[in-house]
Amino acid sequence: MLDAFIDWIYTTRLSWFVNNYRWVWPTLESLHFCSLTVLAGTVGLFDLRVLGLVKGITPSALHATLRWGVVAFGVSAITGVMFISGASEQYFYNDAFRMKVVFLVLMGANAALFYWREFAGIQALGPRDDAPRSAKLIAGASLVFLAGVMLCGRMLTFFRPPFFH
Amino acid sequence: MMEFFANVERLSLSVWIRESPSLLAFPFILFLHTLGLAMLAGLNVGLDVWLLGRRKLPPFELPNIYRVMWLGFGINALSGLLLLAAYPAKALTNWVFFLKLLCIVIALWVLQHLKGELAGTGEHDVSTRARRLAFASLLLWTVTIFAGRLLAYTHHILLASEGL
Repeated sequence: MLDAFIDWIYTTRLSWFVNNYRWVWPTLESLHFCSLTVLAGTVGLFDLRVLGLVKGITPSALHATLRWGVVAFGVSAITGVMFISGASEQYFYNDAFRMKVVFLVLMGANAALFYWREFAGIQALGPRDDAPRSAKLIAGASLVFLAGVMLCGRMLTFFRPPFFH
Repeated sequence: MMEFFANVERLSLSVWIRESPSLLAFPFILFLHTLGLAMLAGLNVGLDVWLLGRRKLPPFELPNIYRVMWLGFGINALSGLLLLAAYPAKALTNWVFFLKLLCIVIALWVLQHLKGELAGTGEHDVSTRARRLAFASLLLWTVTIFAGRLLAYTHHILLASEGL
């Protein structure tokens, strides 16, 4: 089933594009890292404020930068799909990739929990106000999950299936 | 010079980083380099886009953000030295590596000057200089990241000891 899916991916024009130009893969890697940097920076800055490491500014003033984090996540996702289209086995038969997906899902669920339970209260905080402990837990988890995504992303190469070259 | 690179490659630390099957060797050092990038360049870029999206800057207590960024720089410098010890010729015979270093040095200089623009006791306008510094910072980190990734594709020598 999975092999058939992988075979189909390799018939797509996207896969052909990724594999037939030498400059595409290095460019995608660079864009993937640029978007990771923007995502980590914008989310990290907001999380540090919620955690109380940054003070003197309202969380709502920093929240606006998160839209750039969303754009960066979109670029990461697009470049990620292009990687998969170019070398599917490397990802589908790779424990590090599976763990990366788990961390991405946890990041998404954590963000959803934040907007569901904490966002309204956080937006009302003043420049020197402390966030509630529940919001700090979510912000801390966000940073841990982000580090997990980076760790698993870096481990991908070392968990390639033996038949993949 | 190649003899010197080959001697570095033969150090037990270099051999361990390059050849150890442990995930704590080359893979974990690579992860630390990425983590440092996220802490230094990531937060710097976060500050840049935040500043560029505003007309006025509220008072902002920066010391802790700068501490995290400098910690990221420390992690990057240490992990970068370890990666360099593993493959000295690969980096030091490639002009792309020196472009990366140059961009990092200038980006750190810009970061320090940006601190003065962000700091203030009351709300103040975003100056033209601050905007220019933020744009320069975004450009410099972009070039740094591209140069870092392209190192794997632009090197002419992997190991000096193989050619001797």
